Amino acid sequence: MRYRKITKDNIHDHILVCLSSSPSNAKIIGTAAMMAKAFRAEFTALYVETPEEELMVEADKRRLAENIEYAKECGAVVTTVCGDDIALQITEFARISGVTKVVLGRSSVSRGGLIKKQSLTEKIIRLAPELDIHIIPDSSIEGKRRKKHIFSRKSLISLIKELAISALILGAASAIGFGFHYLGFTEDNVVTIYILAVLVTSVLIDSKICWALTSAAGVLLFNFFFTQPKFTFLAYDKGYPLTFIVMLMASLITGSIAARMKKQAKLSAQVAYRTQILLDTDQMLAKSKNADEILVVASKQVRKLTSRGVILYPTWNGTFGEALIFGDEEERIEEYINDDERAAAFRAYENNIQTGAPGSLYSAECMYFPIGIKDEVYGVIGVVPGKKADPFEQSIMVSIIGECALALENEKNIREKEEAAVRAENERLRADLLRAISHDLRTPLTSISGNAGNLLSNDSFFDEATRRQIYSDILDDSVWLISLVENLLSITRMGEGRAKINKTAELMSDVIDEALKHVNKRKTEHRIKVSLENELMLANMDARLIVQVIVNLVDNAIKYTDCGSTIEISAKQDNGKVLVSVSDNGYGIPDKMKEQIFDLFYVGDNNRSDSRRSLGLGLALCRSIVEAHGGRIWVEDNYPRGASFCFTLQTKEIEINE
Amino acid sequence: MNKPLILVVEDDPPVRNLITTTLKAHGYRYITAHNGNDALLEASTHNPDILLLDLGLYDIDGMEVIGKVRSWSEMPIIVISARSEDRDKIDALDAGADDYLTKPFSVEELLARIRVSQRRLNSSGNQSSGTVFVNGELKIDYAAGCAYIRGEELHLTPIEYKLLCLLSKNIGKVLTHTYITQKIWGSTWEKDVASLRVFMATLRKKLERAEGSTQFIQTHIGIGYRMIKVE
Repeated sequence: MRYRKITKDNIHDHILVCLSSSPSNAKIIGTAAMMAKAFRAEFTALYVETPEEELMVEADKRRLAENIEYAKECGAVVTTVCGDDIALQITEFARISGVTKVVLGRSSVSRGGLIKKQSLTEKIIRLAPELDIHIIPDSSIEGKRRKKHIFSRKSLISLIKELAISALILGAASAIGFGFHYLGFTEDNVVTIYILAVLVTSVLIDSKICWALTSAAGVLLFNFFFTQPKFTFLAYDKGYPLTFIVMLMASLITGSIAARMKKQAKLSAQVAYRTQILLDTDQMLAKSKNADEILVVASKQVRKLTSRGVILYPTWNGTFGEALIFGDEEERIEEYINDDERAAAFRAYENNIQTGAPGSLYSAECMYFPIGIKDEVYGVIGVVPGKKADPFEQSIMVSIIGECALALENEKNIREKEEAAVRAENERLRADLLRAISHDLRTPLTSISGNAGNLLSNDSFFDEATRRQIYSDILDDSVWLISLVENLLSITRMGEGRAKINKTAELMSDVIDEALKHVNKRKTEHRIKVSLENELMLANMDARLIVQVIVNLVDNAIKYTDCGSTIEISAKQDNGKVLVSVSDNGYGIPDKMKEQIFDLFYVGDNNRSDSRRSLGLGLALCRSIVEAHGGRIWVEDNYPRGASFCFTLQTKEIEINE
Repeated sequence: MNKPLILVVEDDPPVRNLITTTLKAHGYRYITAHNGNDALLEASTHNPDILLLDLGLYDIDGMEVIGKVRSWSEMPIIVISARSEDRDKIDALDAGADDYLTKPFSVEELLARIRVSQRRLNSSGNQSSGTVFVNGELKIDYAAGCAYIRGEELHLTPIEYKLLCLLSKNIGKVLTHTYITQKIWGSTWEKDVASLRVFMATLRKKLERAEGSTQFIQTHIGIGYRMIKVE
């Protein structure tokens, strides 16, 4: 037992390897593949697309494609996610997909700048402490490679911009310094102005180089403008070099603290925003009643977040559905619904990967995100191209889609559970039914076959009266069997699913006439009266089933009342419904039985009728038939005596086609 | 009146015995067949007056037998079926059967159905080309477009009159809802079936107004209607 459990756990292992354009990545993929094989685990290769993607050189792109290809060869399911925070994306993906082990390269660990930064591994551990992390040692040049690309065209422009800003601030600081000097303040005050300038610069700009340059420039400017001799880089006073060093240190430290605070504030604001949005999404998802609603909620949340048009391709039972659009008319989202876009979305659905967007694996105008967990994809959300893809926004989007997939999986699990419970219940009922029936079939069959056998072999010994008695016994028993079979057939008709009830407009008078044809004919010593409020009363029903209900109710009334009793069948319009009642003037039904009388196999302690003849089937069947028609069945006392069984049906008003 | 010759097609021996014993007891002449091919052979060689046909034969489908027999003969066909679904009966009727019996049936019911078909045989013999239709107290003058009951003219709406004519021309035969709506409205919408029920109810009320009057139109729930030949 215990052993089995252990192996089972192993099967549920899920290994994740991260793809990159690094040349050593192939080795990591290979190791991870071997691990997956050894653990017999699921194997996924994840590629996190970052905003720096655009800066990638051709050789890197090619290597990345090779690595992706290699991962596929190793049997990995390749998935792409988008975002600037690689650690967050990895942990998010791991959480959604049930990843248990993450394989990383050593190179990913040693990334750090001037100021101590949390490594990728540390971050992942902080975000998802339950994950096993395997680090594969490798001597990579990744760090250098990344630095090489820092000065690309784009960052050069922003660097120049930031340099201009710092120059402006330094200029302003120098101007104020001159003002102070003019007012006769000492140089110490001017030093603080420069430190302030560095502080302001570090808040306004992001580049570390720029801010270090500003600190140095501040010191030099102070030297140039305010120390004796002025307008030279010389300093006469022996204390000045110390002042310069202190000033530089102070500038650097304040600057770095300010920059870090700024970054932290931005981060915590983002985290709060993200939490809020995800919380809202969760609440809305929890309120959704079915899979369609969940998909719509997710699409609307993505639309709200990105303010871009959203296209939803839902999937139903393995078929890729038609596109649904979320957005305004003027956005012309319809233009993005064509065969190419659909193909990209379908790729996303089929391979459970992100597709679309220029430069990605499968190109299309829109970006397509699969809503899926493991092998199951519930739909695809497409985002229309817009202003600028904000990586932070995109990472939230991925989280929303992940939540949506989780909600859909839950929904599916719950639905399957409910269906299984219903099936089990039906199975139980069927078994009970079979047991009860096969037991009760024996008695009439014994009587029929025994009597017939007697007639066959001993016919001449019986006198006329005995023979007649035997004939009538055979007939009685077979008639009983016929009515049982009719009820069983109705049960199977019902068992085929409530949705299958085929309702048509029927005349109540026809239905009652038909029912009376099937009522046990040998017991017509009862007076049966029919009173209809309106001859042309129509009701919506499956006629066969409702006939069975009336037959059962009338047969019951005949069975449990004395000969000569009156049975009245009436139908009338009541509050938009048809109220049918079968009343007798017999002994009535005690209150304590009224509740249970419609239960399956309820026989009661009625000794009036031959107990063997009751299975507790008829009334239970009546109830399920009436309820399947959306009606209600109950029993009440008849005035002045007897019982009255009533049920309701929906009326049908029709226009007459003359 | 000559007792008609009845061909009994039934593969189950006890049920076949039950039917033949009943027929013998009531003085009918009969021949039997155990399967569809025998049935077609017997039907073509003996040219029986009435065909009692079990739908569940093991060699060829009962529906096929109906189709083949109908290709050369108008003999009344009464279908016997153990299937409980209405669809089978409707299909058989639409294929050309006149009437149906569901197992288990009583001996009385069987004899009643045979009598109805017998009357149809007789009436079609002497009324085939007449412009006046008489059925007990009911008289329809097709040429004048009038219907009378006990000599009194009936005030029928155009649809009711059309229904009455359709039923009278197919007297003894069960007409399915689809057949009737197709003939009257040219369509088979569900709405029409509901209207048909109401029209039938009003028509019947007009025909059978008097207390204890004879029943002319039979309702077959879920299947259709039939006009009965009154003796």
